[in-house]
Amino acid sequence: MIRPHILLFIISFLCLTTGVSQEAKDSIAIKDKYGLRLGVDISQPIISYIEENNVGLEIVGDVRFSPNWFVAFELGYKDITTQEDFFNFTTKGSFAKIGLNYNAYRNWLDMNNEIFVGFRYGISMFDHTVHSYTPNQYGNYYPAQIIDTSINHNDLTAHWAELIVGLKVETFKNLFLGASMSFKNLITADEPENFKNLFIPGFNRVFTNDSGVGFNYTISYLIPIVKK
Amino acid sequence: MLVTSCEKDDICIERTTPFLVIRFYDAVNTENIKAVSSLTAGSDEYGSLYEEESIDSIALPLNIYENYTDLLLKSATLTDTLSLTYARSDVFVSRSCGYKTIFENLELSKSTHNWIKNIELKTTIIENDTASHIAIYH
Repeated sequence: MIRPHILLFIISFLCLTTGVSQEAKDSIAIKDKYGLRLGVDISQPIISYIEENNVGLEIVGDVRFSPNWFVAFELGYKDITTQEDFFNFTTKGSFAKIGLNYNAYRNWLDMNNEIFVGFRYGISMFDHTVHSYTPNQYGNYYPAQIIDTSINHNDLTAHWAELIVGLKVETFKNLFLGASMSFKNLITADEPENFKNLFIPGFNRVFTNDSGVGFNYTISYLIPIVKK
Repeated sequence: MLVTSCEKDDICIERTTPFLVIRFYDAVNTENIKAVSSLTAGSDEYGSLYEEESIDSIALPLNIYENYTDLLLKSATLTDTLSLTYARSDVFVSRSCGYKTIFENLELSKSTHNWIKNIELKTTIIENDTASHIAIYH
């Protein structure tokens, strides 16, 4: 089964490759635009629509400081309920990431597209609430019962590192569509008592080896400040 | 692709709620393990887990929804009951296993002695089922 975000990733690649062609102008000196680019992750509203109990927002931005280098950041929050075999829980919290992107793509003339690699330092503050669980006992000698609780694991913090690969395409003047994929690894996290950090906002699902993956699909606008 | 639905933490492989392990010994030579030749074990309410088996140790689930478990142990035609009380706590194991129950302050609140001569609690805490918790002499 293809998950929605993987499907989105494929679709966005197809869309972006069709949008690469742009008209070249007759200018002699080509100036690069420098400015603040701000955008939003457009996959999140779609995920919220498809999946119940998965609400979030992610604002993305970057600032170019040399021909190929950008300071990039992401800010967001997430409120997600995860159903596992023997329990379900809600994770709620906000996150921030900051790092650098390097554009490895050589543009033709005045085109402004990017194939980039980057890294991020991420931090998140979040709470978990376990709503109900069934104690795991082998067999069904005692018919399984669901124990309703409201166990809170509050004020947790996590730090992690990410590697990112992605692309950005200028589809209209100063308007960019982007897709990226990130690989994450936890550096440190508060361990909840009698529970585990199974999901962290901004990090997503925490796999058993403390790693994670993320997919971003963004639409962003460049506010040009200088041309050089 | 990269995220498939079969990650290794999707399958519960850790040990979960321990069973109560009872071992049967000779009432005269108390060091010697002595099998029960035709043992039926279980409870009135939930039925039997062992039926007329020749066995020297059994593992039975404790009730994880109550602070007591009443067990019936029948050897041939004689039936004895064991009433156990305990405190429970649910311990988080993993994403795929969820919580397991461990038992503390295990006590024998009531027992009959028709074929059983003596009952000895080896421990008051049941955290795993690798060693026996109760010795029964017959």
